[in-house]
Amino acid sequence: MALLETRDLSKSFGGLQAIDKVSLKVEPNTIHGLIGPNGSGKSTFFNLLTGVYQPDEGSHISFDGVDITNSPAHTIAGLGLARTFQLLRLYGELSVLDNVMVGYHPHTKYGPLAPLFNGAEVRRQDKAVRDEMQELLEFIGLADHAEIPAAELSGGQRRLLALGRAIAMRPKMLLLDEPGAGLSPANVDSLMSTIMTLKDQYNLTIIVVEHILKVVMSTCDTISVLDHGQKISEGTPEHVKNDPAVVEAYLGREMADEDIRAAMDA
Amino acid sequence: MVFLSRIADVIEALAQRHRMLPWLIAYALLLPLPFILSAFFNDYLIDLANRACLFIMLAVGLNIVKGFCGQVTVGHIGLYAIGAVTSAVLSLEPGGFGGALGFGLPVWVSIPIAVLVTAFAGLIVGLPSVRLEGAYLALATLGLGESVRIFIAVTPALGSSTGLMMIPAPSIGGYVFDSFTSYYYLVMTAAVVGIYFSFAILRSATGRAFQAIREDTIAASVNGINVVKYKLLAFVLSAMYAGLAGALFAHMPPGYLHHNNFTVIEMVTLLLMVVLGGIGNVWGGVIGAIVVTIAYDQTKDLMVYFMDRPIVIQPLVFGLSMVLLVLFMPRGIGGWFEGLQRNRRFIKRSEEKLGGAARNS
Repeated sequence: MALLETRDLSKSFGGLQAIDKVSLKVEPNTIHGLIGPNGSGKSTFFNLLTGVYQPDEGSHISFDGVDITNSPAHTIAGLGLARTFQLLRLYGELSVLDNVMVGYHPHTKYGPLAPLFNGAEVRRQDKAVRDEMQELLEFIGLADHAEIPAAELSGGQRRLLALGRAIAMRPKMLLLDEPGAGLSPANVDSLMSTIMTLKDQYNLTIIVVEHILKVVMSTCDTISVLDHGQKISEGTPEHVKNDPAVVEAYLGREMADEDIRAAMDA
Repeated sequence: MVFLSRIADVIEALAQRHRMLPWLIAYALLLPLPFILSAFFNDYLIDLANRACLFIMLAVGLNIVKGFCGQVTVGHIGLYAIGAVTSAVLSLEPGGFGGALGFGLPVWVSIPIAVLVTAFAGLIVGLPSVRLEGAYLALATLGLGESVRIFIAVTPALGSSTGLMMIPAPSIGGYVFDSFTSYYYLVMTAAVVGIYFSFAILRSATGRAFQAIREDTIAASVNGINVVKYKLLAFVLSAMYAGLAGALFAHMPPGYLHHNNFTVIEMVTLLLMVVLGGIGNVWGGVIGAIVVTIAYDQTKDLMVYFMDRPIVIQPLVFGLSMVLLVLFMPRGIGGWFEGLQRNRRFIKRSEEKLGGAARNS
């Protein structure tokens, strides 16, 4: 059974149809790529899945067998759907450690008023969480910076922290919004290998939006292509690469075949 | 600077031995304060210390909603007023002066009820935060806070323009807390406990959720935080601080309450405390409350003469210091000290790593 399924997912902003009846299935333990030209609706699609936006009438989203079409963001997060943001949205003033500890929030076992009535239990549980999160930071290579405010990290470290904060949620599925944006090619490769390791270690299913086609082509099991809010193609990387509709969406109708090939392989 | 850092080191070392040790020592050190003040200065300063304690509670409470959770609320003094008037009216004898309400409840019953009533009022003040942000939220809460004061001012049953008089003082057994010194132990204890709980909240998942909402509301919701619930919780918790401070203010000698104690000026003073101390910094808020209470008191009669006409310049001085603070010290005393401590820790760690080489070179 598909872990995530959308049926006729639509969203319009005023007159603009940002997402137009997109149906999609993501199988467990796969990496699903989502590509498309700028403004094709990829980020909007993520915002709909995670409850940041509410979809239009007639849309259906189910995750892990639960209908989440109109669920608020925090409920969806609690079900095990985590994401990163294109612009990261880290908690800049909080320490690196606190950032990942916020990620762990859905698994907190004490109530919000426990600090007033049961301080001992809060301290006991928080210590266990802190140790666990310290390990996670160790794994992504930020343990030395645990006490530093997130805003003071370098660009590459910030991307790692965004990933770490999502992993801290112990999700079933992870949505990555342009994880490699702004990184040098070498850093992108190391980030992707970190992501692959995390996928195996935590049994993750991943949807990744990425502009660097090489990354998408080499890591994804399935790729969906969006253009003007519509799904225009779907299949294996090889299939998508050779789909004329995709080529047209990216490069226009008039491009010569060699140019297309070259652009795709770049 | 070094002196402050030393104190921080000592506190840290004490906390290593036992978590509660710094708190107990601080409490013990605060016990003889009224006697020191009355021996070396005068009894009036004890009253000032009491008011400082009330403002500490207010500032620490305001910090929860404004500092931790980032919600700009300017109606806090209204909550303080609700706490004060509720406890006063509940504890007054029926049939008091000038048609004031009275229910004749014991003070130890009226104070907790006042705290609960204020908590509920805090929920209502917090409701606009679900939809509004920043300056709009500030306006909405300012309106709510000020309307409370005006409601008190025009309602004879709540004191109206004459105020509420003869509000009973709390007592245990036969002992009545009706002097500055005895009352000091009540408000000081409440302030210390309030500070302690504020730290307990800050250093828990609840506090982290508040801060996440402050830093980035969308990221917080995607991290599984119920933003509406936690925003309202922050308002309710901070209202409980205001309610307790208000109730304790009502019963403080001489047991008199007037709506002039809850004006926008008081609100600005409270904001100044939190900004001076450093928004979001608990100790900063405490220091801000103490400094501003004393400064407010000392500059009350500050006047300059212009063409032989006296001009009270206190509001001007306070307004200007607020502007200067926001411009040149936006993170206040607390933020400045935190940065200092972080640098010290960083240098210490680096030195340890280099095995002292950094110092020798």
